[in-house]
Amino acid sequence: MLEKAGIPTVMIDLEDQRHMVTEWAQVMGVPNIRFLHAGRILQGPEEVENWIETLLEGLTEPLTDKEKESGTTEPPSQERIIFEGTLDEAQNFFQQTKHIPSPVDAPISVYSDGYPIIIPTEDRVKEMLTGTSHKPDELITYQHDVAATRGEVRKKGNVVAFQPSIWRTATVEKVATVAVMAGCKPEHLPVVLAMAQTGCPTGTTGNQGQINVISGPIAKEIGMNTGCGMLNSGNPASMTIGRAYDLMAINLGGAVPGVTRMASQGTAINRGGTCFAENADGLPPGWKGLNEEFGFKKDESIIMAMGSSGMRGQGFPPGTHRAFQKSGHGGMARGLDLKGVPGPHNWLAYLLPVIIPFGEGGRTFLMIPELAQKLQECGFKSKEEVYEWFWKATFEPVKDFRNRAGPDLTTNGWMGIEMTSGKHWKELDDEYMVPTKGDEPLANCIIVGGGEEEHCEIIDGGRGTAFNIDAWR
Amino acid sequence: MEMAEDKVYKCLNPVGIQKTVETFPLAPRLNTLDGKTIYLSINGEPDINIPLEKKLKSDYPSVNWKVKKSYMPAPVPLSDEEMKTTDGLIQSVCW
Repeated sequence: MLEKAGIPTVMIDLEDQRHMVTEWAQVMGVPNIRFLHAGRILQGPEEVENWIETLLEGLTEPLTDKEKESGTTEPPSQERIIFEGTLDEAQNFFQQTKHIPSPVDAPISVYSDGYPIIIPTEDRVKEMLTGTSHKPDELITYQHDVAATRGEVRKKGNVVAFQPSIWRTATVEKVATVAVMAGCKPEHLPVVLAMAQTGCPTGTTGNQGQINVISGPIAKEIGMNTGCGMLNSGNPASMTIGRAYDLMAINLGGAVPGVTRMASQGTAINRGGTCFAENADGLPPGWKGLNEEFGFKKDESIIMAMGSSGMRGQGFPPGTHRAFQKSGHGGMARGLDLKGVPGPHNWLAYLLPVIIPFGEGGRTFLMIPELAQKLQECGFKSKEEVYEWFWKATFEPVKDFRNRAGPDLTTNGWMGIEMTSGKHWKELDDEYMVPTKGDEPLANCIIVGGGEEEHCEIIDGGRGTAFNIDAWR
Repeated sequence: MEMAEDKVYKCLNPVGIQKTVETFPLAPRLNTLDGKTIYLSINGEPDINIPLEKKLKSDYPSVNWKVKKSYMPAPVPLSDEEMKTTDGLIQSVCW
């Protein structure tokens, strides 16, 4: 924008992110932007000394002929038919890879996630489109107002821009094409279309992915597994819808490792995509499903998209939990000073010492029905009461909060206002207690699901954003 | 007779729709930095940006250095008023 306004600029990036800078610059219409690289290792003064003169020359050296050029950058092929041939030839086409140079230095699939795909023939896509009443050439738009993110306004009717950075758009037919490639069935398409509204972000430099959680009647309609092994492979609906997310990120969003997807190791969440459903039947009496938590009705289906870098188990063996609840024996009882006291007990309290130090922001708990039931028996009549208790129980003094790395960014270098006090961070007393798990109790989230062993997955990442699935039927 | 394996299929394009982008030339460069108003737009990376700001101000005192600072990925934008009097900008470090 500044270059277009006649203001010369020069950028400093990190050397391994040069491809990402080039992509962004092309999309923004200034492909020849001047930038130089900073390293990750040298101490600052030595680093700056290496390139400060070059930096300033970026503002003063006269433009080259190339830098004076204007014109257009044509996008990749926009033909409706991308390939014509036998199925074997098509398989080879869609399995093609491209060598991505350092920091990847490996072949990366152009159209797939590395696995073979189902060839999206005209007939197969036509069949897939029977899963929705929306027209094939309709652009993917928001079907209702959605909370803004990173300044982007997301109002009903706005066209969805697919991330990470190329700002592509898509039609219903393109989403259906990807759904065929993923192995989805037509009855899965409304979920995939709802998921498409998220823009399918993959995180740029962080090891983040998107978890997609379904709540509402459609989970049973399409045969999703909400019981034992719900996060594992095997269930066609969960696996193919999850896969469709990653294939949309690659094809609709242009996600390429080392170019637009800069996560150091990436995350298993993005490895084939992650999608699962809530077990609505397993909710304790009085506890709302995710759909109701987001203001939808019990008989409406939604998909909650949440950013996360991973999951971890709860840190207690199921047997110790049984002893804790039944008769107040074992480490959990000793840890909570409840030795010899039969339950029901708040088992989440046992996890606080491991949850509090590990990261900031909301947390999501994927717990089996029995564990949810135990919390209800302890007195938590609703999920909201659990969120309220958990949020307050994870406060810590400012003097400890200041020793965390994340808040250097989230407080904007401690230059902002602390939310609960309304005071500047630098004015707060060391003993003032601040939240560590989100700005409010509702930053956290509970999902009930899974099978019989007493287990809870602690998901890094809090409450996500809900998108209506029924609007795409 | 066409064998099943010889049948030809048309395969649909899964790639997102990307518009043609109009590209622009870079803004003309400055003939000198002396007396110019140059913004240093900082995004975190204090280990680099603290010495960078210090060195720019000490080694190039004839430049009117101004600073915008954020620890988050999105830079603090220049206002319309600021753009009227800005001669150049350094963005450090993009991430």
